[in-house]
Amino acid sequence: MKRTLTVLLTLAVVFSAALLAEAGRKQDNRPDGGTLSYGEYGRPATLDPITSNEMISLRLTELLFNGLVGINEKQEIVPELAQRWDRSSDGRVYTFYLRKDVTWHPREGEEPKPFSADDVMFTYKIMMHPRTITPLKVRYEFIDKAEKIDDYTVRFTLKRPILNALAKFSFKVIPKHGPVNPQFLTRDDAFVQNPIGTGPYMLKNVTAEREIVLTANDNYFKGRPHVDQIVAKPFADQNIMTQALMFNAIDMIVLVNPRDIPEIQGDKRFILQPYNALSYSFFGYNCRNPLLADKRVRQAFTYAVNRQEMLDSFFNSQGTIISGPFAPGSWAYNLDVLPIPFEPQKAIALLQEAGFSRGADGFMQKDGKKLTLSLKVPIEKESEAVKRVVLAFKNYLKNVGVDIKVEFKEWQAWKEDVFLEHDFDVIFASWVFDDSADISSLFHSGEIGPWKNNFGGYSNPEVDGLINESKLTLDHEKRRTINRKLHAILADENPYTFLWTLTNYAAFQKKVRRVAIHPYKFFSYADEWFMEGKDQK
Amino acid sequence: MNRTIVFLTILMVAAAPVFGADDSVAKAMKLYEKRHYAEAATMLRAELPSIEHARQGTARLTLGMIYLKNAELHRKLYLEALSLHQDYLKKLAAEQGKSRSRFVDLYLGEALLASGKGEPALSYLQKFASTEGLEPRAKAMAQVSIGLCFALKGDMQKADEAWAGLPGADPEVKAALAAAYSKAGLKDRKPLQLANESLEVLKKSGPGASLRYLTNVASVYAAEGLADKGIDLFKRADLKAYSYKEAVSKAKIITFYDAFLLDDLAQLYLMAGIASLEKALEDGKIRDTVNFYLGEAYAQSGAVDQSVKSTAAFIASSMPQQYRDKAAARQAANNYRKGRQFDAIGVWDELSKKQPLDPELLAEILIVCSGVRADCPKLAAKAAASVEAGEGRRFSLLNIALGRYYSAKKDFAKAASYLETGRDKSNKNKIEFNDPEMLVNLAEAYYRTKKFSEALEIYFEMSKQFPEVRQLQEALQGIYAMEHKSAGDVKIY
Repeated sequence: MKRTLTVLLTLAVVFSAALLAEAGRKQDNRPDGGTLSYGEYGRPATLDPITSNEMISLRLTELLFNGLVGINEKQEIVPELAQRWDRSSDGRVYTFYLRKDVTWHPREGEEPKPFSADDVMFTYKIMMHPRTITPLKVRYEFIDKAEKIDDYTVRFTLKRPILNALAKFSFKVIPKHGPVNPQFLTRDDAFVQNPIGTGPYMLKNVTAEREIVLTANDNYFKGRPHVDQIVAKPFADQNIMTQALMFNAIDMIVLVNPRDIPEIQGDKRFILQPYNALSYSFFGYNCRNPLLADKRVRQAFTYAVNRQEMLDSFFNSQGTIISGPFAPGSWAYNLDVLPIPFEPQKAIALLQEAGFSRGADGFMQKDGKKLTLSLKVPIEKESEAVKRVVLAFKNYLKNVGVDIKVEFKEWQAWKEDVFLEHDFDVIFASWVFDDSADISSLFHSGEIGPWKNNFGGYSNPEVDGLINESKLTLDHEKRRTINRKLHAILADENPYTFLWTLTNYAAFQKKVRRVAIHPYKFFSYADEWFMEGKDQK
Repeated sequence: MNRTIVFLTILMVAAAPVFGADDSVAKAMKLYEKRHYAEAATMLRAELPSIEHARQGTARLTLGMIYLKNAELHRKLYLEALSLHQDYLKKLAAEQGKSRSRFVDLYLGEALLASGKGEPALSYLQKFASTEGLEPRAKAMAQVSIGLCFALKGDMQKADEAWAGLPGADPEVKAALAAAYSKAGLKDRKPLQLANESLEVLKKSGPGASLRYLTNVASVYAAEGLADKGIDLFKRADLKAYSYKEAVSKAKIITFYDAFLLDDLAQLYLMAGIASLEKALEDGKIRDTVNFYLGEAYAQSGAVDQSVKSTAAFIASSMPQQYRDKAAARQAANNYRKGRQFDAIGVWDELSKKQPLDPELLAEILIVCSGVRADCPKLAAKAAASVEAGEGRRFSLLNIALGRYYSAKKDFAKAASYLETGRDKSNKNKIEFNDPEMLVNLAEAYYRTKKFSEALEIYFEMSKQFPEVRQLQEALQGIYAMEHKSAGDVKIY
């Protein structure tokens, strides 16, 4: 009897070990191995999903972390860290049943720690802490209460039912044992530079050249990703990035410079894949400056610039001029609102109406003060095209009597000036949205403050009211109507000079197979990508 | 598209008198190459009386080609609009409660009717007609469509009951009734006379005609063969206009569109194209070339026998072999339509063996094969191998043909992949560089694979030249708004 038990136990141990080993690999008969290096147009400020507010970080955190739920290519909500969920009949209570086979990336010399409900609770609390620096807070204010039911069950009670509530639980979960400060997260915490997650890839190191090296997570709960290593290489100059691809120094570019599309399309070694990130570029104004608080001045600036000429000259016409705060590929774009035309005379008339007159030096002035403004541009944007855009802007405005002083700043310093200190008059930047086209954090007056997205301090009670109403409704068509109104108002108000949306293509070597790209997060399906043995390096 | 341009260029050089740069035919060709079809046709049609006799044939041929291409595009747009409208309106109709749209029943009923789904159409239309508090005109529109449902079923008694007591003095209702008579084939009820009477009333009463009104009258004109008159109706019309704007509440406004507009335009352009090509046939010097296009135009219009005749005449001509091979591929499609599927597939196979290195011929075969929804796996495999090995513009056409083949097979992921490969990415959505019909195919493939924003971007750009695309944009936006799943994130870069 004892012998039989021993044999059974031994068999069970052997069988479990074999299962574990099998569970680590994907069962799709595709080869593992190889390194994929991709070109980024800058360095991320942080690598955690909570404090970051830029695309470079977003792409990396997609590889490092998971949410309770994910969204697949068919726009379906799929299980991730939660294996299933319940929704109460009134749509207010969501209960998530968590996977029990998930572990956190191990720190060096440590064993992997198990993921549990405590981590979900920790993430929610730290995200909502008033001292945590994050743009996410506004997105989760709809949650009334979060509870741990047991080690693998969490429950969220909403203040009220909302549209697409389940999708919002795709927020990335961080480990309770991750941040140094367990109360709130700031950019000073070591975790933001050296994070651990549950995702398909683990952060290995950041090289002296600021390359970010990620390695495959053997214990990934969806099966080990096929590609062994992913390396993010920063390029300040997009032209060099394309050359790096052409000379095999990198395998992929996440966003091809529109000017380089013909060159890449003509080369059979590469695949160009469109992914429609809903994005646009703009000149944003600081409405705290009394000169820019006057709508007529902002409107004048938009009339003064020839956007089509800039798009044609600097981006080979590869994009579309927009009229308002949504991208043309969005469901929220108001098709009845047309872009403000290029009319310098109208710009001058508007400035005169706002009380300015031409001085002897040709520049506009008011109360004896010359109309001089600073334009701050992040240095990562110092590609040739961007330089030309800002210089063209300066010249267009000079033609109507406005003196623009262009200042290039290092990315982090630029963000501090814009989002923390609000020390700027005009900025040139771009926003990228996910499908929900949510502009509330950009233009609601409640989003004015340090590290919040309404950096320009734009405030309009009508806009606030519409945004609030849009958040409360459960009716898609009503929300669509509200967004159309918001589009029309903001197109008239010109908190930004809305510029264009550019053609978005990723380029990669043909050897990288089964590449599906998430239009916003990019690497959502990267664990499925692979390279044949002969193509691995 | 490029096939025809190349062909016409040959024709111009070989057969026609030399034109100056400012010649209206040359100008029209330039606009045609840029896919500014309506502009090209309007300009050339206006110039026709002043073009000298010797050039009339070529001018007519050019005009016919322009109309034909515009008809193909509008047919594709119509089919896609009809499908999008139904998807969108079904979602809207599924809503419950006070904030549910009332007019969704009317427009969904009409869209279903246009798709040949009479029974469900009737149910929605009757539901709408029984809604309390409707404006008389709206109710009358529903009654007209209800009558049409019955008439198409052959139940004339019920049709007449539905049509009885309509406010006949209202020109909008009169035009709708005329269109219904015309669609039901009730010529004895004089739909043309009714449409013309409505036009007279409208002229006297002053207010401008709605797009729905024009669409209804155009539908009658199309059925009566009055293509030019129908096209002229839309000369000054705002083709992006909605049919009805329903304010469900202050903060919920829904716009509805008439998909029939695109159907009418497609029909009118096709008829105008055929008429123009038939006139061009009178010019003996270009007869062979005309037959090539006429064969295609007749096939599109469903006149298969006439298509067979014209295409056979072209094949028997002394035109270059590569074009005669293309015509042979089309002729096989005619045979396929006439029930001789086996023969047709045999011809396509033979042709593909004859010139295995000619991607353009292979593309043509695949396109005609898709057009008749034939299953051609061997050809598709051959084409796939060919595009894998080749490169350049000629292979782009083959990629596009493969995309169209898989679109017809409803394999939209594959379709998107091939069409995307064939697309000129440097000018992603620009119709001057990418055939708009291909772009509509691509938009459809992206829509079906839930890449809504890619599809919307295509239509956004296309609507600058074809404002009637607005109705596809609005429906697609509505579906996207309801279907997307995302958290509400935004990042700076």
